[in-house]
Amino acid sequence: MRITDYGLLYWTVVGVLALLVASPFFSRVLVYPRTEFFTELWILDENHKAENYPYNITRGQNYTIYLGIGNRLGYCAYYMVQVKFRNQSQPAPTSFGPIENRLPSSLPSLFNMAAFVADEQVLEIPITFSFNYTWDEQLSKVELSSLRLNGVWLNMSNCTLSWDADKKAFRGILFFELYLYNADTNSFKYHGRFVGLWLNMTVSI
Amino acid sequence: MKNLPRYKNLTIIFYTTILFLYSASFIISPVLCYSQEDARIAIQSAEGTVLNCYWAVFEAEKAGANVSSMLQVLNEAGWLLSRAGVAYNNGDFNLAYEYATNCTQMLDGRVDEANSLKLEAENARRMDFLVNYVGSSVGAVAIVVGGYAFWVFLKRREKTVEA
Repeated sequence: MRITDYGLLYWTVVGVLALLVASPFFSRVLVYPRTEFFTELWILDENHKAENYPYNITRGQNYTIYLGIGNRLGYCAYYMVQVKFRNQSQPAPTSFGPIENRLPSSLPSLFNMAAFVADEQVLEIPITFSFNYTWDEQLSKVELSSLRLNGVWLNMSNCTLSWDADKKAFRGILFFELYLYNADTNSFKYHGRFVGLWLNMTVSI
Repeated sequence: MKNLPRYKNLTIIFYTTILFLYSASFIISPVLCYSQEDARIAIQSAEGTVLNCYWAVFEAEKAGANVSSMLQVLNEAGWLLSRAGVAYNNGDFNLAYEYATNCTQMLDGRVDEANSLKLEAENARRMDFLVNYVGSSVGAVAIVVGGYAFWVFLKRREKTVEA
């Protein structure tokens, strides 16, 4: 037997060995580049599920939800969540068109929450809230006085909810708009995303 | 001579009052006298500190450091800053000042911590580059070259044996 008869086997072994040794190099070089950079925003109920969201609200009672932010921007992001509340006639944030062109609601923010999220990480913020309101039976409207959010009292005067005959409820939406810190302008810019919960302020007759 | 004990009591009361007022000035004054301007400056300072810390963490993460503990602190500080903003809007400047100061204190020394994390990550990345890029590719080339040299050696040896 000549050595050249083992040529194929020999070079196969050498090739496999070389590939094994080079595998850490290839694992770093042959990586498909990330092409999509975005942020996820969601709300879950108190059991971390998308099932039993609070809807029928009782005055002064606490409700818990989880606000989640998933960062896929490729860098550690500095977000600002603006907490707002509106009735059915007040301006909502826009939901259509390219996400960059969407506009936030023109309503003032009740509370601003800073959120720092590392790339490819998720931050879940537990939010416990309760409402204080009064029912004007004669005018058939609910007048909100305050929102307690994670132990912070927020003034909500000037916010009223009219009777929604279709839904048979005093409906308002508690929503969270997401802003992203922009280093170029040194300020927060609306990130085109919001989530909210429709709530019915129940009254005892 | 009859008035001496009364005089003595008055002296004690006088000195006690002075001592009480002096101590009270340390305890009460820092709590009660923050103006709107004080609160505004404290909040601005806290915002600046949060931003500086964020940039330090941003750079550390970019260098490959694990910044999860730093982000937890930043989120807590951000919460205090949010509360300071609410207190300020409600006109409670003492509370606003307190929250803003707590926020600044919470981030005290965190920029240095983030910078050291960044340095560690950079060193780890250098090491990673040496081992996984240079070491791995040089090792693979060495195996191919060594394999070829050994192959040539075996062939020559075979020829010598045959001769």
